[in-house]
Amino acid sequence: MIRIGRLWNELANPRKIPKLFSVILGLILLLGFLIPMDLNVDQLYPRPAPQLQIEEGLSVAPYDRGGEVLKVPGITRAQYPENSESIGMVNSYMSPQALFVKSISPYFGTSIYSSPGGLIDEILYYTRGFDTILESSILMMSFTIASFLAVNFTMKRKDENNSNQDEEYN
Amino acid sequence: MDLASLGGDLLGTIPLGDIVLYFTPFHLFMFIVVLIFTVLIAISRTETQVEASFKTLKDNKVSVGLEEFKIRRFLAIICGLATAGAMITGDLFNFTLFVALIGIVNVGIVSAVKQIDVLDAAYNYGIIAMLSSLPLFGGAAIVLASTGTLSLFEIANIATTAPMMTFGAILLLIGIAGETGIAPFFATKAEMFRTPGSPFILIIHLSSLMVIIRAIEILLIIIKVI
Repeated sequence: MIRIGRLWNELANPRKIPKLFSVILGLILLLGFLIPMDLNVDQLYPRPAPQLQIEEGLSVAPYDRGGEVLKVPGITRAQYPENSESIGMVNSYMSPQALFVKSISPYFGTSIYSSPGGLIDEILYYTRGFDTILESSILMMSFTIASFLAVNFTMKRKDENNSNQDEEYN
Repeated sequence: MDLASLGGDLLGTIPLGDIVLYFTPFHLFMFIVVLIFTVLIAISRTETQVEASFKTLKDNKVSVGLEEFKIRRFLAIICGLATAGAMITGDLFNFTLFVALIGIVNVGIVSAVKQIDVLDAAYNYGIIAMLSSLPLFGGAAIVLASTGTLSLFEIANIATTAPMMTFGAILLLIGIAGETGIAPFFATKAEMFRTPGSPFILIIHLSSLMVIIRAIEILLIIIKVI
């Protein structure tokens, strides 16, 4: 029988914590297989049925969201339409290269380089722009930390022993 | 549970497209408290630890170098701002992003210390913070899939809780528990405090306390057990 005091002592070792966390996480993820699947089809960013646009013969097949750039808004929904009044206006924007490939190939929408730029712009920079700012600041913070460590722990390592006492801040 | 019974009457919103920050007395109080602490930390200087030496009468002063002081202060201010943002955000995915930012900045604050034990603890905490991004964002994604929205206002209006929503909330809880290092995973963070530079180390603790309070409120909005 394991006494609880010994258990607490085991938990006080930082090296054991990631293992414990990953075991708990794995058990809960396995538990997820028992949960009945549930999908609300009334999604915020609706998509057509999978083969619908291919059968219609559109060359940007799964990604055609209608609209005309800066004239007719395409199909993009917002949670709060009153906060984003000109939504959908750049929905169908494509770069000149994309337009060229679209004109010569009927399978444009299936290729990797066919990311529907305008549609992503609507979501990333218009309706959910604040999230994009936060994501890039997470990235910036990790680069800040990594470059600080790189400068101070590799490039300046030789100087460290000489000037260890000089740079103290009090 | 509705928003008013958890946080009080709605005082106002800051609409940023689909992401709407909102103020109730509860959130406003936590927001201001975090900002005050951030200002206090930003204007303060680091402590110097004095260690008694073994077999001699000399003391050993452990202090923080100027470069390290600057980067720690910068990261501590970012951490405080991220915590303040997490207090008032009204969007589930936005909240998880704030928590992820807090996690990575916490690792950064102690990343340059010279004590090996502290670095070891910070390394283990970093592993947990990386691991917990899966349940954190996965939980938000599952809640989005089962409700069709990420706005807390809309989720609060949904009458029933589907099993998927409860599962998503549990995943969120695991993610936040790992990212902030609460109870069973606390050892990694507790070891991180054993380094000089006290005020900047304190923001690590403060951010996890505040985020946990806010996370419980968000989980109650999703699950509606009461």
